[in-house]
Amino acid sequence: MTAGDAALEEAAPVRARRASPVVAAALAAAAIVLGGVFAGAVQSTLLMTLLTQAIITAILATGVGFLIRQNGVVSFGHAAFYGMACYTIALAMRHGVMPIEAAILLALVLPTALAFALGLVIVRIPGVAFSMLTLAVGQALYEFATKARHATGGDDGLTVNLPARVFGVSTSLFQDPHAMFVVSWAVLALVVLALAAVAASPFGRLTAAIRENEERARFIGYATVLPRVLVLTLSAFVVAIAGVLFTLYNAFVSPDVLHWSLSGSALIMAIIGGPRLIWGPAFGAIIFFFAKDMAGDVTEHWQAIIGVILIVVMLLLPVGLGGALARLWRRGAGHG
Amino acid sequence: MLVQVLNGLVYGGLLYIVSVGLVLIFGLRRIVNFAHGSLFMIGAYVGFSVAAMGGFWGAVLVAALVLALAGALLDVTVLRPLQREDPIVTVLVTFGLLLVLENFAQFVWGKDFLKMPVPAMLSGSVSIFGESFPAYRLLVIAVAAAVALGLSVWLRVSRIGLYVRASSADPLTTAMQGVNTDRVSVVVVALGAGLAGLSGTISAPLLALSPSMGSYILIESFIVVVVGGLGSFVGAFVAAMVIGQVHNFGLVYVPWAATMIPFLLMVAVLIWRPTGIAGSHV
Amino acid sequence: MADGFAIEGIDITRSFGGFFALKGISIAVPPGEIRGLIGPNGAGKSTLIDVLSGRADRWTGTVRMFGDDIGALPAHQRRRAGLARSFQRTNVFADLTVVDQLEIAARAAETPNVEEIMAELSLTALAGKRAADISYGDQRRLDLALALIGRPRILLLDEPAAGLSIGESLELAHNLKDLVARWKVTVLLVEHDMEVVFSICDRITVLHLGELLAEGTPDEIRGIPEVVTAYLGSSV
Repeated sequence: MTAGDAALEEAAPVRARRASPVVAAALAAAAIVLGGVFAGAVQSTLLMTLLTQAIITAILATGVGFLIRQNGVVSFGHAAFYGMACYTIALAMRHGVMPIEAAILLALVLPTALAFALGLVIVRIPGVAFSMLTLAVGQALYEFATKARHATGGDDGLTVNLPARVFGVSTSLFQDPHAMFVVSWAVLALVVLALAAVAASPFGRLTAAIRENEERARFIGYATVLPRVLVLTLSAFVVAIAGVLFTLYNAFVSPDVLHWSLSGSALIMAIIGGPRLIWGPAFGAIIFFFAKDMAGDVTEHWQAIIGVILIVVMLLLPVGLGGALARLWRRGAGHG
Repeated sequence: MLVQVLNGLVYGGLLYIVSVGLVLIFGLRRIVNFAHGSLFMIGAYVGFSVAAMGGFWGAVLVAALVLALAGALLDVTVLRPLQREDPIVTVLVTFGLLLVLENFAQFVWGKDFLKMPVPAMLSGSVSIFGESFPAYRLLVIAVAAAVALGLSVWLRVSRIGLYVRASSADPLTTAMQGVNTDRVSVVVVALGAGLAGLSGTISAPLLALSPSMGSYILIESFIVVVVGGLGSFVGAFVAAMVIGQVHNFGLVYVPWAATMIPFLLMVAVLIWRPTGIAGSHV
Repeated sequence: MADGFAIEGIDITRSFGGFFALKGISIAVPPGEIRGLIGPNGAGKSTLIDVLSGRADRWTGTVRMFGDDIGALPAHQRRRAGLARSFQRTNVFADLTVVDQLEIAARAAETPNVEEIMAELSLTALAGKRAADISYGDQRRLDLALALIGRPRILLLDEPAAGLSIGESLELAHNLKDLVARWKVTVLLVEHDMEVVFSICDRITVLHLGELLAEGTPDEIRGIPEVVTAYLGSSV
């Protein structure tokens, strides 16, 4: 390495931080356009259905991954926030107490508020116990939804009576795989962009510092509970967005949207994709869906397959597939 | 009323036997085994299969031994290589194991609920203060009591037990005492897994067997361990007994909210005391 | 500033399980002084630093900073009030670059003197490097830099030279002495390297098994036979 290279490397972090908002915004805009073009080009409804589900779940995984990235803790209970958003819309529509637009707003607010309140109690708990708690919290909500049959329909679930138009747009559009793909893809791009901006902001860098060394952060003058609570709250908000999209798309909810196995899947997607990258978990989600689709006739062993993949990734590739890809790309770019 | 309390003891006792395995492993290695519930589940199935061939008592013995062996294997192949990593890595790897084991059970024993019969000699009822109570359930209480007693004696008397107690109080100093930690760890993890297998088998006649029973008991025992204070044996015992009672009275009086009660109790305890009842600083 | 002390601990006691880490210790450091805190292992030096900085729990007594009782303040508020500390075991943000973590610290201190600190502690050339990738000696200086950001009024140092070579620790000590003199920082310094302590401290407090053994100027301390035999040995 020459002296020039060394100087370049030192300057890189500072420069990258200044350039990133513009570059990221351009990237996101390009991604949204590309998504539209892609949806226009692909004829197969089957593929688009798969992709739309994958993208909605990718938003869920992005929320879960952001918590890992900024707080360094692993949640096994984010389905609670996702499912809560779904059920909020379903129940509001069932009882006809408010217009769909208000229900959507409420579906974003409630899980976010729950995460904030819960966060005040659970972010103080050290890493491993935090994982145990989130699992218990998520499952408590699931049990409640299955037991409270009179309200939630129990295991049978609820059909969501959506009105003809949502935000002035025909509801059928939200249930069309092609159109919904474009919507979800755009939301995902915006979420990733927004989270990247947060991560690069002073708040993002503070929470990264707290993740690295909570004690030292206190001794340089920061209260460390609230920032971590806010990260959890933000990640729950992202997950609630995914829940809203899911409900609009499927117009049906069942307790599955609250089950720990959904939390677990989202977590696995985040780990496979690599949570150190903001886009890693979304990438992991897409890989997950295609792998599951390709597994085809061995799907009854899908759970074991994904378990083995998780173990292998944890042991051999701690940066995840996205992280490895980013490294390869960087190396390739360096040589070229 | 008395019957209700006894039923609470049955459930609390089972929870205790499962949870104490988690406590043992946490105390020694500061990690949580997410596959612990799966060991309980596999224990129940192994017990089910052996009981069909060789009777109930053989099943209890075989299940406990098979799972203890599996625990030793788990320690050597998974926990030991990961001991220098962040505990989160172990959480995720054992979570992967949970998925594999659940799928394995589904493959071997099927998805349908299985029912293991109560052993014939214990199928009757006993009269306690004029109320009749199933004899088998009394056995479960007795086993839980025996485990609690045996374990606390073992923790006080044996070298390994002393080491485990010291380690759960203060892992840093204990690590410098020149004890062969690898050997201690194999014994402790095998014991924890064996207890999971034991509780799986003895609870099999009371529960419907399904591959997902493992994650259900895992969550319940997490609540016990967190409420009791991570790594605390006494705390886990008290928490298991309280949750056993609360769970049972909940089922009787507010069935629709019963599953929420242990969880609410946990949140309340954590607000009151973030490190659990026994309140050791983690 | 009623009583004229920068940092003051009055009748500090901390015990756990019947073992007393500190038994009614009182210490008072006037502004601008560099005070050494010495004593054998287990004397309670680090515990005292922990109590003063807000890291310890379950202690009794009074902690005052420029006359204000700060005993109930959490650590981060003490830091914002101008009471900073470093750590015995290097305590930096391993995955963050040097400049990033100093900038984060500067934001809390509301005094963006990052460039100044980096220059004073020879960290400028390492600004873009991750803390995990720099040498141990550089990490020790980074730890110190994190404490010195924002020009705190009081600095509690827990063995800042631990693990450094003799040359390195003396260099660090004089670097530090020069800096605190210019910035008028009051220092309480725990250090095992007696050469460092006796060359930069104005006064020295000796602790032994949680109790106050002696207090005085370096020359006075050298002249107390029981300190020399109990702790200093023949090396000084």
